[in-house]
Amino acid sequence: MAYYVDRNVKMTWWEKSYLPEIIRGMYITSRHFFLNLFGFIPFLLGQKKERPIFTVYYPEQTVKYPLAYRGRPVLAVNEKGNYNCVACGLCEAACPAYCIDIIPGSNPGKQNELERWPEEFTIDMSICIFCGFCEEACPEEAIFMSDMCEFNMLDRKQMKYNKEQLAVSTEDLKDRIEFTRQMSGKWNYSSSSR
Amino acid sequence: MTDIIVDLIITLVKIGFILAVTVGFFAPILTWVERKQSAIMQDRIGANRADIMGFRALGLFHILADALKMFTKEDFIPDGADKVMHTLSPIIALVPAIITFAVVPFGGQYTLFGKEVSLVISDLDVGLLFVFAIASLATYGYVIAGWSSNNNWSMLGSMRTASQMISYEVAMGLTIIGVLMVYGTMRLTEIGAIQENFFRWGIFLQPVGFFMFFTASIAENKRIPFDNPEAESELVAGYFTEYSGLKFGMFFMAEFIEMVTIAALITLLFFGAWHVPFLGTATLISLFDFLGATGSNIVAMLFHVGVFFAKVTFFIWVQMTIRWTLPRFRYDQIMNLGWKILLPLSLANIVVTGIIILALA
Repeated sequence: MAYYVDRNVKMTWWEKSYLPEIIRGMYITSRHFFLNLFGFIPFLLGQKKERPIFTVYYPEQTVKYPLAYRGRPVLAVNEKGNYNCVACGLCEAACPAYCIDIIPGSNPGKQNELERWPEEFTIDMSICIFCGFCEEACPEEAIFMSDMCEFNMLDRKQMKYNKEQLAVSTEDLKDRIEFTRQMSGKWNYSSSSR
Repeated sequence: MTDIIVDLIITLVKIGFILAVTVGFFAPILTWVERKQSAIMQDRIGANRADIMGFRALGLFHILADALKMFTKEDFIPDGADKVMHTLSPIIALVPAIITFAVVPFGGQYTLFGKEVSLVISDLDVGLLFVFAIASLATYGYVIAGWSSNNNWSMLGSMRTASQMISYEVAMGLTIIGVLMVYGTMRLTEIGAIQENFFRWGIFLQPVGFFMFFTASIAENKRIPFDNPEAESELVAGYFTEYSGLKFGMFFMAEFIEMVTIAALITLLFFGAWHVPFLGTATLISLFDFLGATGSNIVAMLFHVGVFFAKVTFFIWVQMTIRWTLPRFRYDQIMNLGWKILLPLSLANIVVTGIIILALA
């Protein structure tokens, strides 16, 4: 929403004299200074920490990312230990960066066994742009965006994640799966029957 | 002969002390204070990453890291720059900042082992004028720095420095005249000694003068609200755009040492120098009479030096708070403040002070 800043503010005589307003500003900043400087004392006395500092020491502490966060894609592994993926190649087709590489494996007609599975499922993380299109394209709830975003290598070849490295159990992905179901329902996509 | 040697040793000790406190302690520690205080004021945590064997010491090791970085950085001189002047200007900027401390007393007079020791390196009878004369020399350093860099932004920065420093020196000098009229002396040790009486502190005698002097001296130091010469958003880094490594560090050190000088001068002229209210030197010495003549004098001396530097630290804190509270003035606003407000006010201050002195006489 557009709004306009009134640049012709009529200041009172008190404000125009400038010095009192400086002192008021310095009162505010030094209040923050002393609150933060001595704010650890109630914390040491066993009370709740009330310093207004909300900065996080990043590598040591992390914040919990929101559910909608798109970290690196992972493959869901169900309770039986099988990949949900059926190697249909829709994610491969949807991928705008062409970072997904699937070699399908299939069952030559045996009953009550897996019909299709990915023989190889490689994602090149150095190419992936974390758009989440693969997750949207997937009809089988097999590929999801996780909250993992910390991965760095000295060698570019190690950036190619194979299906073992990508595997995450559906149990761990429960919240994200629920979230994607909600989102597909909202967008009126074909919601999954399962 | 021995007298001369003893005097020499005493003076050398005092010089060593001043150098240790300003260059050795305040200048490096202020780089840390600036980061940490700004962080705490803005509800952040601040510098704390540099560590030695897992110890972080509240980020104090950043000082070491900075020094190492500045020593090892390439000393770059741009094409077409005046090499001699480019090298010389940081020195011209830094040296006056240190020299001004030669006449700043950090304690009174004490009798140590039967010898009168005055805690000032050089007790000039024109001490205050000396401070201003030397401080205004630093302008050359900044102007030459911008001029010799062969860079448009540096040039603009140094022009701004020149005009700003000259404008504010006028107001500053006229403000000081009020202080001189009140105390009747230019000798800084005497000004300090007079303020043993709490009701003769400069802040009571020259309240308007204090605010004007503080404003003008911050403007002289070119720190934010008045940092137009180096205005990052307009002039890259102003007059020291083309400086790197230790030369850049010297400009920074000059700025921080000037902060200490300003704090020391304000303490000295307006806030009772090394005195504590209602506790005279004689009372203090008689309190510690049981330590003997020299012992009580040493205690009084340490106490006074501690009080002086505590006050200096407080005024450095105030300067830091101002720097991280206020936004930058526009250039015309700086000139307006200098010429249209501070100059007439300081003239009026002189007149009013004179009338009051005459009326009381």
